[in-house]
Amino acid sequence: MRQHEIDGGARRAVFSPVDSRARVEAVVRRIGDAIELGLLADGEQLPGESELAGQLGVSTVTLREALMALRQQGLVTTRRGRGGGSFVSLPEVPADDRLRARLLGWSTEELRDLGDHWAALSGAAARLAAQRTEPADLQPLRRTARELAHAAEAAARGRLYGRFHVELAAAAQSARLTREQVALQSEVGAMLCLVLADDAYREEVADRHRFLLSAVQDGAHETAGTLAERCVRESTARLVAVRLTL
Amino acid sequence: MGVSPGLATVATEPEAWVAAQVGGALEAVFETVAATRADTAAVLHRVAAEGRRPASRDLAALRPGLHLRLRHERLVSGVGFVADPGLLADVPAWLEWWQSGADDAVHPLLLDLDPRRSAYSDYTHWDWFALPRDTGRRAVAGPYVDYLCSDEYSLTLSEPVQVQGRFAGVVAADVYLRHFEAAVLPLLRRLSRPARLVNARGRVAASTDPAQLAGSLTRGPDFGELLGSGRPGAYEGLRLVPCRGVPLVLVLA
Repeated sequence: MRQHEIDGGARRAVFSPVDSRARVEAVVRRIGDAIELGLLADGEQLPGESELAGQLGVSTVTLREALMALRQQGLVTTRRGRGGGSFVSLPEVPADDRLRARLLGWSTEELRDLGDHWAALSGAAARLAAQRTEPADLQPLRRTARELAHAAEAAARGRLYGRFHVELAAAAQSARLTREQVALQSEVGAMLCLVLADDAYREEVADRHRFLLSAVQDGAHETAGTLAERCVRESTARLVAVRLTL
Repeated sequence: MGVSPGLATVATEPEAWVAAQVGGALEAVFETVAATRADTAAVLHRVAAEGRRPASRDLAALRPGLHLRLRHERLVSGVGFVADPGLLADVPAWLEWWQSGADDAVHPLLLDLDPRRSAYSDYTHWDWFALPRDTGRRAVAGPYVDYLCSDEYSLTLSEPVQVQGRFAGVVAADVYLRHFEAAVLPLLRRLSRPARLVNARGRVAASTDPAQLAGSLTRGPDFGELLGSGRPGAYEGLRLVPCRGVPLVLVLA
């Protein structure tokens, strides 16, 4: 028996209510990103249609449209009959191409807004963490910063980048900021692989995280907040730049 | 910075009483942890006596006890055994962990522990795991945001499990901070001065002082040293009283 069902944070966010007006797109994006991030594993069965629709807060009609779009993208297969249902399937297309297709689902305005939300969360978290942490509390963040500096695969880099910002919110001692950050990373995390594949940029992010940690440790809360915002804005700006080439 | 014993060597009656009551509340949670440790050790010894390595399915024997404790200990919202990676024959890592939900039902925690997919697969650096492993003694971790298991601001009380002289993992119980506050606030309110409970690092776990709320840090005193001595002290106008048996200090402004 493998332990791979719903975890406390990121995976639960996958199935939390969707509130966008473009509901079909939002469902497609949410589930698609979860598959790219590996939060939903290849071959895993999705909950039943009515259950999944209920969890996401959308009608079953909306959910069916979304599942159809996911089938067209090759991310979900549906089997009929006994033992049937919708299953996660990772197509044989290179991950990079799938991520580009995913990024194409975002407008530059939506990416800009995502960056604003992320900067607000991480900036606030950095300011609070600088006031509320002592050095021992920063060990998880230091470990993540170290691992990011050495991670070879783009997917691992994306996960570690996300973990750093979740740990920053936890260092702020805020369960709400942490939950928001986990949910946000389930949206942005997969796409960040596209910009973190570049070794030079990965180095830059690792440096920015180190400077940020120094400011948090020194209790320099305004500096820490500004550094966190800059780091996040630069990453979203790079994503927008990639989006404009598509 | 050291703590001067000074005038505060003898805690006055209400402070000592409150500190003892807080210790007693958490002692009840530690009894839950100890009962889980006894069950876990029994399972692991039985498997060892059969001359084989334990597997995740062996830990299913813990479930009746875990469910019972979740239902009966009102402060406890999560309880279980967390295996040291490499202990079990069939999986690299495992949490036999159960939680009570908002609906009062009891649910298993199912984590993605595959490092190829999850950035959170390694749990061995969390204080609730590392402290009992490294010290061999019981520990109180937090308050901290538990984004691994509950998404709650929590305290986790844990103890190491040893089998044949080898560290096998930890048993632990989660206490959500809002429940802890509900339990200790009536006690703190009996005191005539603003009071707070802080951990060994000075992190506030509960407080009747609006300027020093839970999650903030009380800087200055060496709370670790004070807890080591087990005796009350004073620091720049603050009175410091260690809670009996648990690593929390009652601080009075």
